[in-house]
Amino acid sequence: MTEVLKLGQKVPDFELTTYEPTRQDFGKFSLQEQIDKKRWTVLFFYPADFTFV
Amino acid sequence: MGCDVVTVSTDTQFVHLAWQRSEKELAQVRYPMGADPTGKVARLFGVYDEATGLALRGTFIINPQGVLINSEVSYYNLGRNIDELVRKFKANLYMSKKTNEVCPSKWKDEGDKTLTPSAAMVGRVHEALGS
Repeated sequence: MTEVLKLGQKVPDFELTTYEPTRQDFGKFSLQEQIDKKRWTVLFFYPADFTFV
Repeated sequence: MGCDVVTVSTDTQFVHLAWQRSEKELAQVRYPMGADPTGKVARLFGVYDEATGLALRGTFIINPQGVLINSEVSYYNLGRNIDELVRKFKANLYMSKKTNEVCPSKWKDEGDKTLTPSAAMVGRVHEALGS
């Protein structure tokens, strides 16, 4: 069981394979890259494609 | 707006592609759609539902240092208010620049009333808010 993150904690690095609608291609998201680029991130979880979000 | 939005579900990138192409509501979508079929990332953020294998409606703001600074989780049947998410992001961005100020509940955008906590404000929040 992974320990759940709390507010104020550094998020452990993670990656996600993505679909990028702007390029109509697959890509990769990496939290470390966001930190390197000094970018803010909003992660938006939802239950399932083809339903309301 | 100064942040990168990434959506995440336990669907694969292939399903994301098919959904984005077929659903007219998503025709203007520009953000990357993350695939978390193992639920690893959803588990990390505490939104993985073991009973269904799906992710609950969690929204998380991570600052440029990689620190989690805001979270909101709703159950399956409640949609999120994007205006509130934008407000939270703007407030966090503002407070990262003005670190001695805090944004009260009615704060919406730069220029709105903020509070600067101090001994003088203890028991005097009503007066400080000017309400």
